[in-house]
Amino acid sequence: MAVLEKFYAASLHADWGYVDMDTRQLIIDTAEKIFADHCQKGLLDAAEQGIFPQDLWGKIVENGFHQLGSAGSGTDAADLYAFLKVCGRYSVPLPMAEVLLSNQWLASAATESGSDFASIGRLNDTSINQVPWGRKATKVLGVAADSHKVLVIDAPSINEQGNNLAGEAHDTFLLAGTEREIELEDSPFAQMALARTNLMAGGLQATLDLGLQFASERSQFGRSISKFQAIQHSLAVVAAEVAAAQRAADAAVDALGTDRFIDEVSASKARVGEAVGIVAEQVHQVHGAMGFTYEHRLHHFTRRLWAWRDEWGNEFYWQAMLGSRLAAMGADKVWGYIATRG
Amino acid sequence: MLQFDRVTLDSESEVLRQRVRDFVADNQHHMPQPNSDFVTGHDPEFSAKLGEQGWIGMTWPSEFGGGEQSNFERLVVTEELLAAGAPVSAHWIADRQSGPLLLRFGTPEQRERYLPGIASGQSYFSIGMSEPDTGSDLASVRTTAVAEGDAYRINGTKIWTTDAHRNHYIICLVRTEAPSENRHAGFSQIIVDLKNDGAKVRPISNMAGGEDFNEVVFEDVLVPKDRIVGEPGNGWQQVTSELAYERSGPERFLSAFRVFVEMVRICGDQPSPHQAAAIGRLASHFMTLRRMSISVAGMLEQGKDVGVEAALVKELGNNFEKVLPEVARLVVPDLSQLDPAKHKLFRDTFEETLLLSPSFTLRGGTREILRGVIARGLGLR
Repeated sequence: MAVLEKFYAASLHADWGYVDMDTRQLIIDTAEKIFADHCQKGLLDAAEQGIFPQDLWGKIVENGFHQLGSAGSGTDAADLYAFLKVCGRYSVPLPMAEVLLSNQWLASAATESGSDFASIGRLNDTSINQVPWGRKATKVLGVAADSHKVLVIDAPSINEQGNNLAGEAHDTFLLAGTEREIELEDSPFAQMALARTNLMAGGLQATLDLGLQFASERSQFGRSISKFQAIQHSLAVVAAEVAAAQRAADAAVDALGTDRFIDEVSASKARVGEAVGIVAEQVHQVHGAMGFTYEHRLHHFTRRLWAWRDEWGNEFYWQAMLGSRLAAMGADKVWGYIATRG
Repeated sequence: MLQFDRVTLDSESEVLRQRVRDFVADNQHHMPQPNSDFVTGHDPEFSAKLGEQGWIGMTWPSEFGGGEQSNFERLVVTEELLAAGAPVSAHWIADRQSGPLLLRFGTPEQRERYLPGIASGQSYFSIGMSEPDTGSDLASVRTTAVAEGDAYRINGTKIWTTDAHRNHYIICLVRTEAPSENRHAGFSQIIVDLKNDGAKVRPISNMAGGEDFNEVVFEDVLVPKDRIVGEPGNGWQQVTSELAYERSGPERFLSAFRVFVEMVRICGDQPSPHQAAAIGRLASHFMTLRRMSISVAGMLEQGKDVGVEAALVKELGNNFEKVLPEVARLVVPDLSQLDPAKHKLFRDTFEETLLLSPSFTLRGGTREILRGVIARGLGLR
């Protein structure tokens, strides 16, 4: 119950009443408050230069967020993914998806002090690559597309530092042949895809919010550009995509532990990935040249969205996965499969 | 933040779903060419059978022939019928729109008089909103109803009136007072008996070869005073709330569903990666839209205002219904060379759906109007 105690303490400290709030809402509210304070443009820029956001990590550990969803934390997987949505909304420059899922998989290996953490990358024959903040990780886990096994490097030694499209640290580790394996019930690859889906759902919401804010503040032809029908319609399209993305992301979280898990993740990652292209394009257009500058914060969201839709299976990968399953069921069964209760 | 809550359908709904599926299986002769568009199948005999099952007016009070069931149960019946391509157009407007309108705004006498016939699947209604010079700008309606003793004298023309030539009634938005500074004031809705009151109905063919559109002309048509829906002068409030009911249902994303089914059939159980991805892409949209529609049903069930959420579902759903045939035509081997005998169902449903598709983003509020509704919900207007 360490996590909850810390939440309660933090909440009381901030003079909040917590008695009537459920745990998840408490996590979301607390996280929002911390990220709103810490995840400013300067921090995101610095992280892109390879400077690890140590103070922010300290806050996360202080609040027990590094243990969300792990056994004994008093929180569940749905809390974990709800938290990742918030991380997406603030472009949190820490590998929270990897930290939390590796803790869960290694059965709560996270230390109380948070002095070490594990990260997760794509496994191939010779390496584990695209490991977020691998350079800071004390354990590195490797996941492949069609296996329930996860490779664990207990004393990782980095081979190459790199970045993804969004400037997030993505590092590579060569395999030595001495790694151990663990096996999971739910596909680890699909869990990583679900994590990206929730990060994207959060990032999409933030991108819409930036578009709405900019449209109301920017004035041209003597009036706020939000009064132009062309702008209103662009943002209406964006809002529709963002709403669909939220619902799709939630649906896949609800399927955790069920026999529909892979299919729901497929639908979800594909649908949310599709929303990314539309939303990023439209909101950049609304922002004009200002949103194209490095100085504006919009790109911290849109570049992450563009990167995340390609990580852990792009739309085509997951669409084909779902489509093959449905085709195998046969045309007269597809409706029955779509028409679920939840 | 716009919120589409997670909703799980209850077990009663699922029992009902199975009943509907059994009913559909027993009534295949009513659907020789299944099409999921809600305007394509006019079959009064089938509508009457649905009425007997209690599947029309499902959420209404029992005193008016209703079933007192939830919005979820209604949604289950609706989506099962549409997905199967059942002919639902005869009773559709009366069930979805006219009945709820009368239930909410009608006088006690009107409810008693019209609702039981609708619920039995035997009384059908048309919508009289659009006019030759009035499309999206509904407040420019010019048809008048002038009080004369115990009657109203109606003059004007309504257009795009689906099934006016075979329906029993039309509910018209009319001016009962001269235009004033408040352009939404002075409107009423009035019920006209299409069989007996003397309105002239002229058919308009559509580009899909359908004959369900009409123009309805009123030349000194006299109707009794008690045909005004509820209170005179309340017309604008009535039409705006009525339009919100019709925007979030499964009919807003299932119109092209049978094209999807037949496309999956042609792709077979071992589709190419390209075909599989097309199937998966369309399925991901169906799954998401359906959940959003169920979320809105949940809001309706709680008595919440769903104006913006319903507009979002319709915006997404109608665009998707138009994308679906575009995707389908490129994953079947070669549309022009498909074996006519073997792939007749695909061709027929594809061609009919494509020809109907321009209407998807026009009916029930154009795309432009809906985006305006959403923009208002976002605080931009």
